[in-house]
Amino acid sequence: MPDTEYLKIPRERVGVVIGKSGITKDEIENLTKTEIIVDSEAGTVAISPTEETEDPLSVWKARYIVKAIGRGFNPEISVKLMGDETILEIINLPDYVGKSKKAILRQKARIIGKDGRTKDIITDMTGVDISIYGKTVAIIGDMEQIHIAKEAVEMILNGVRHKTVYAFLERKTRDMKIKQFHKMAKDETDLI
Amino acid sequence: MAEKEKWGVANVYSSFNNTIITVTDITGAETITQWSGGKVVRADRQESSPFAAMEAATRAAEDVKEKGIIGLHIKVRAPGGNGPRTPGPGAQATIRALARAGIRIGKIEDVTPIPHDGTGRPGGKRGRRV
Repeated sequence: MPDTEYLKIPRERVGVVIGKSGITKDEIENLTKTEIIVDSEAGTVAISPTEETEDPLSVWKARYIVKAIGRGFNPEISVKLMGDETILEIINLPDYVGKSKKAILRQKARIIGKDGRTKDIITDMTGVDISIYGKTVAIIGDMEQIHIAKEAVEMILNGVRHKTVYAFLERKTRDMKIKQFHKMAKDETDLI
Repeated sequence: MAEKEKWGVANVYSSFNNTIITVTDITGAETITQWSGGKVVRADRQESSPFAAMEAATRAAEDVKEKGIIGLHIKVRAPGGNGPRTPGPGAQATIRALARAGIRIGKIEDVTPIPHDGTGRPGGKRGRRV
């Protein structure tokens, strides 16, 4: 069986992983059939398989769920990662804009937009969930959606105007819908 | 346990464009079988799909069982470097299919190459201009 996995999360998110008198932690443990041990002092989380664990991937999944919570998602959204095709993508802001605190703050503001408008548009159009927290932007969704959302965020980080990004999103989502329709029609005949 | 149980290593490379499964012996020097998404589907864009990964994994499992190997340790790898560091959609499907084909799953490890400050990201100072 898979081994114990360790990861580190920010101290202030430890409370969210555990939840009120441990509900959130229990829920993740029940869903993935794993055992989670949290060190509240250091912020380290150890995830180990139990005897009931059947799915070899459960430790992995639990790890991603905890990581998502550590990246600012609330537990209800993080649990979506239990799905087979849902993945978590983390964009590290210093990779794009440098270490300057001011630059990171400004770019975070640009991704969120006034009253969260830009963020809302990205999430609505592509169907992903976005969390902007600390020095990272985390995205939860399926692969195709994440591809589009990530490109949109990267465009903003590279200094493209918001207007251009909206137009890009509109074009991409339209393409995605057409593709899905064709795929539905083609899948049965094409595969196998 | 009359005979010694034989184990192997499945190196799974999962990108957004393809899934490649290379099964080796425990030392990693001797390849037992190699399968990829592109070997089982015809269309380019389906190479990375979970379906192709599943298909490739079940066929790899057949080859592996023929050689008398009962379990596999798994090393998952995403493109890494400057590219995405999260494994693509084929990784989970591969592991699940291997388990379903009756192969014992040992340790699962993420071996994505992470640069300790390597070459620069593509795109240049002013970003990608389309």
